[in-house]
Formats: sequence, structure tokens, C-alpha cells
Amino acid sequence: MYHKAKKNKILTALSVLCCTSVLVLSGCATTTTAKTSSEIDPYEDFNRSMYSFNETLDEYVAEPIVDVYNWITPTFVQTGIGNFFSNLKDINVVINDMLQAKFLQSGEDTGRFLLNTTIGLGGLFDVATEVGLEKHEEDFDQTFAVWGIPQGPYLVLPVLGPTTGRGISGTILDTAANPASYVGYPIQALSLLNERANAESTLKVVDEAALDPYVFTREAFLQMRKNLITDGKSTLTDDTLDTDDSKAADKNSKSSINIDPAGFKQASDKFSNAEKSFNATARAFKAASDKLEPSAK
Amino acid sequence: MLNMLKNKSIAAFLCLFLLVVSFNAAQAAQEESAKQVVEKFQADLIAVMKQGKELGFKGRYDKLEAAITKSHDLNKIARVAVGKEWEKLSNEQQQKLVDVFSRLSIASYAYNFKDFSGESFKFASEEETTRGGAVIHAYLLIPNEKDVKFDYMLKKKGDSWRINNIIADGVSDLALKRSEYASILERDGFDALITKINEKIDHYAKQ
Repeated sequence: MYHKAKKNKILTALSVLCCTSVLVLSGCATTTTAKTSSEIDPYEDFNRSMYSFNETLDEYVAEPIVDVYNWITPTFVQTGIGNFFSNLKDINVVINDMLQAKFLQSGEDTGRFLLNTTIGLGGLFDVATEVGLEKHEEDFDQTFAVWGIPQGPYLVLPVLGPTTGRGISGTILDTAANPASYVGYPIQALSLLNERANAESTLKVVDEAALDPYVFTREAFLQMRKNLITDGKSTLTDDTLDTDDSKAADKNSKSSINIDPAGFKQASDKFSNAEKSFNATARAFKAASDKLEPSAK
Repeated sequence: MLNMLKNKSIAAFLCLFLLVVSFNAAQAAQEESAKQVVEKFQADLIAVMKQGKELGFKGRYDKLEAAITKSHDLNKIARVAVGKEWEKLSNEQQQKLVDVFSRLSIASYAYNFKDFSGESFKFASEEETTRGGAVIHAYLLIPNEKDVKFDYMLKKKGDSWRINNIIADGVSDLALKRSEYASILERDGFDALITKINEKIDHYAKQ
């Protein structure tokens, strides 16, 4: 994915992040459901210039390197490298499963990490997916969202690409929780390169489908994040999908004291389900170990 | 005289027959459920993909034009895509927008679904929305790749169900378009929007 490639963990960029997060925290106080684009993206002019800066950087620096990388690196090696870094991120996934009270999923993801680290030769092979332990995507930004922290403004950072006020804090913690962040620049460069190479097809979609690539990227990024945060359950409550008539939607957007009820309900559901999840976790661990056994033979 | 009477009764019978047939046909159309509309569209799409190479862009476009206009409410999609700007447009502009928008939608399908490598759609579930719409949840299964979740939002237009939004893995096509179009209309105006859409169509057609 494009944003991920750019969003990746370069330590030098952390200093940029820290500076910007101060700037950002001042701006994340509103919690209305139907926001206009200027509320979601108050720094559009700045973001647009960062977007073009990143595009240029991508075109003249990243793309030529990735072309060479694609040419000299066989696909199976690229997949292996991708798997390796993805496996390290699963530690972060487990932490965030727990923080969001998804105990069943945390059991599965722990099993996944153990399986891939051992039988998958340190994560080079994703054997867990093949036995039915699918990869989940969880991170600190999603956890913060589940806890009810508002999204904050949309931002495009130099090199790192699209994020939000909340996403910046999330990325700092994600970086801290990722072992790959502590091993030195060559490894991080490899991770970044590999992700950018895998993003080729996504980038093509933006180029080909977008009338305004900046807005397209912003909308797609925010919707994808929302989908991850709600684990795919947000679609029906989303006002932008209401095609009944556009006037109704406009009316909604005018009532400004409109605290996001979905967020609260979701958080309370999460906690009331926690107890059930404890029982399920035990089962998940058992299921994971059952899955481990036959494949170990 | 008798002959005439006979002719008359034949004519009357014919009329009655036609009436019954057309009534039945109308009823059949009415009874086509939201799920059937979606599944018909998906089947049409897969059929076009299977013949994709032989048909070429133009061939795919023609086949998909029928499939899409039958199953989608393109008028409404175009209207919602420009949001409240719709009312500021003249009748002529509205017509023009619906026209280029329809061509863009069909062209992008014809461009993106050009060949077949074992894809199939699988129905998952169906639900009603609070405002009388329907949502069909389905998956696009691609061999060796992760399934893509497709949610089709439908509304009744007259007697038949029509798709007015598709959400792929949580990303709403209509919401994307609405943001893009609103932004272009606001920054560059109506003519620029039409020019950009036409450029896209040309780009798709050049494949």
C-alpha cells in the first residue's frame, strides 16, 4: 500500500513527526459526524504542496530505485522480505488486539506470530495464513480511535505521506513497538523499498482512476482507515453512502453539535464483549495449538 | 357478418392475450429482487471478462453499456456525485454531466475488467436499510489473492431495484467521486470537470 510505504519507519522522520504533532494536537477538538472537506482537511493548501513534493520525490528517487530492485530481485525473494517485516509487525498487532479488548483475535495473532517465526523460518514464509490464521491489521491509531480519541485533521507529511492528527501519535508508538526500528538503516531501507515495490499496483489505480489524485488519495486513505478501525462494520452508518437525496445529507452536516454516537457505542460494545472474549481466547489458543500440531509434523 | 364477429373476437382475444403477457412481464420485472439485479450484473461482468480479449475495448463497452444501464441508476449517481452543486447547474449542464458520467462509468468497467483469470462473485448476505434501500454483501474471489468485499447499495426506481453505490473493501465509490467532483467544481468549475472526465474516457479507450 502506498501510504504505508511512505508512512514507514524512518527514524530521521521521527523528528519531523514530533514537531508536527505539537502543531496538530491543537487542532483535534471537534467530533461531528458529517464533516465538510474543509473541516476534515483544514490545511489543504499545505497538504497539496506536500503531496506534490512526495509525488516528485517518488517519481525521481523512489521509482527508479524500485525499478532496479524489481529487476534484480525475484518475486519470491520480495515476498519473503515482505513476510519477514510483516511478521515483525504482528507483535504490534497482538499488543493492539489486547488494547482494543479483542482477546480472541489476540490469541489467533499470537499463534500466527509463533507459527511464522518458527516453522515459517523467522517470518520468511507466511505458513499461518495457509493454515487459516489470517493476517489482521491493527495499530495504535486504530486503538486510539476505538478509545474514542477524535481523528484530528488530515495531513500529508513529507516522505511519510497521508496521516491524521491521531495517526501521527499512533505511528510514533507503532515505530517504538516494531523490532525493525532498532536494527539500523539498511534494514529499514529494505523494508521501505519492498513496501514501495508492492505498492506499484495500488499506485497505478490512483493514477488511472483519479480525476483529482490528491482528493482521491485523501478520501481512499480516510475510508480505508475507518474501515480498519471499525473492522468493516462502518459502511451502513456512513452518511456519505446515503444516496436518498443529497439535501438530507447536507441538512445533517449543518447540525454541528453532533457527537459521534457510533464511536461511543463501539467502545462500550468492545468492553461489554470483553468478558465473552476471555472465554473465546482460551478456545483460540487451543485452536491455534491444534493448527500448529498437524503442520509441525 | 359471422366472419366479422369471429375476427372481432380474435382481435379481442389477442388484445387480452397481449395484456396478460405484458402484465405478467411487468410483474416479473417488479419481482426481480435486489439480489437478482446484482447477481445478473455480476454474471454479465464475468461473461464480458471471459470474452474480454476477443471483444476488445469497444466490444466490452457495448456489452457493459447494456448491463450497467439496466442495473445502475446512473442519473442518481451522477446527481449525488456533484452534491448540492447539482441545483446550480442548468438543465443542459445536468444532462451533459449525466451523459459523460455514464460514459465514464462504462468505460472504466470496460478498461478494468478486460480479462478473466478465474474470478467469481459469491453472495454473502442481504439487508434492508432504514430508508427502504437494500444492501447486498458479496465477495469477489480472485484465485491466489485475498477476497475483495463488495457491498452493493440499491434503491427502488419505479418498480425495479437499481444499484447506486458500490463499496469495495470499505471504500465507497460514490463517496470518492463526490469528494473529487466537489473539489474540482469548487476549484476549477463545471467545464473543467467535464474536460477531465472526457480525458479519462479517452485514456481508457486508448488501451
